[in-house]
Amino acid sequence: MAASVLVPTVVSPEVVSLYIPAIFTGLLVGLIGLLAISYQKNDLHALILTDIVSLGMLILVAAVGTDLAEALILPGLVVELAEILAISEILMSREMRKMDKTVELIPLPLSFNMEILDTAPTFLAIILIIYGAFLSGFTGGAIAGGGILFYVLSKMTRGVPSNTWEGVAGASGIAWCLWIVGFLIFFVAPSYWLLALFLAAFGIFIKVAFKVGLIGVIGREEFKKDKE
Amino acid sequence: MDLATLGGQFLGTIPLGDIVLYLTTFNLFMFGAALVFTAIIAMSRTESQVEAEFGTLNEREKKVSKDEFKIRRFLSIVCGLATAGAMITGDLFNFTLFVCLIGIVNIGIVAAVKEVDVLDSAFQYGIIAMIATLPLFGGAASILATTGTISLLELVNIPTSAFMLFSSILLFIGVAGESGVAPFFATKAEMFRTAGSPFLVIIHLSSLLVIVRTIEILLIINKPFGV
Repeated sequence: MAASVLVPTVVSPEVVSLYIPAIFTGLLVGLIGLLAISYQKNDLHALILTDIVSLGMLILVAAVGTDLAEALILPGLVVELAEILAISEILMSREMRKMDKTVELIPLPLSFNMEILDTAPTFLAIILIIYGAFLSGFTGGAIAGGGILFYVLSKMTRGVPSNTWEGVAGASGIAWCLWIVGFLIFFVAPSYWLLALFLAAFGIFIKVAFKVGLIGVIGREEFKKDKE
Repeated sequence: MDLATLGGQFLGTIPLGDIVLYLTTFNLFMFGAALVFTAIIAMSRTESQVEAEFGTLNEREKKVSKDEFKIRRFLSIVCGLATAGAMITGDLFNFTLFVCLIGIVNIGIVAAVKEVDVLDSAFQYGIIAMIATLPLFGGAASILATTGTISLLELVNIPTSAFMLFSSILLFIGVAGESGVAPFFATKAEMFRTAGSPFLVIIHLSSLLVIVRTIEILLIINKPFGV
């Protein structure tokens, strides 16, 4: 019983007939993932294998194949990522409690004292941030965020000022609020769409750029200790 | 079965562009109840667990440290707001997203505890919650594919087909896994064995309210007693 409603005539019947196979593929992927989990005794492997089940979920949503489905994939993906982050965080803190010692997020045994670690990161980071600001939106945010991340990781051996990173986290939160306000304006007062567009575009640019917090830079206070 | 039969009285809609919220006495009451409970939990202080030690007259007190306390209070407020949102939303996909948010936040509330057993059960619950996203989103997406809409106001007028029944079963399995009811309750019950009770209560409350709301939504979609 294929979908009989609301399929426009421009859509070819081949595309419509792909829906049922896609649903079966999604369910099959989920089943394969579940089977693998049931064989697996290691917790870490089980966690990684659940990702396969979530891929099945993405296939099921993507099978619908409309604009709305495209808009629904993104929240699905975000939910999946958030859950896998939360669960891996639980797994890590459980193992730390069992072993009674904490582990660094990015273990780097390097203690180089080289000129290039001082000069090059700033230059490259500035270029990436400017290019990102020029692009704006999600892509720009990702590029500028890459620049900031590169800066932090290369400066890590020398210690990064902690106050700056707390400020960055705050700015990221405010930018996120701008993004949400932008979306609210789209819904509540559609006539101000240009303002809403710019709020959303630059809000998400700053937000994504400062998403260094996501990898736990601030949360784990890895960079607070000056390693001079 | 129309909205008024299920919800008591149809009070009106709140149109926000594509997303239309509808108000009935039933879901407005549950929305208010979730908000009131959230407010109470936001104001309350955490309890400390006191355990008597076996064989001696000593007792052991488990306290929640200040940082952990703050994070838990924040997460339980988020959980309460997500529950309230799931009560009042008129959009099937938003409902599934709220349910997922409740699941993630539930993991977060117990994430920082020191007991290894509790962390273990939280991990198992997390795995189940993540697997449950497949039927949850899959069910919502296949309802979208069959009917062309995910607005409950529209779904009420669309006659049920067999595929919608299948999607609803998927949706129900998803909600059951995500909120940790009946077949998956064992892992979640273990999560309560930790200090800091008022914040743990919201985990329980959210799953109760979500199940009630899910039943309403499934009745709206499937119309088992005729239109």
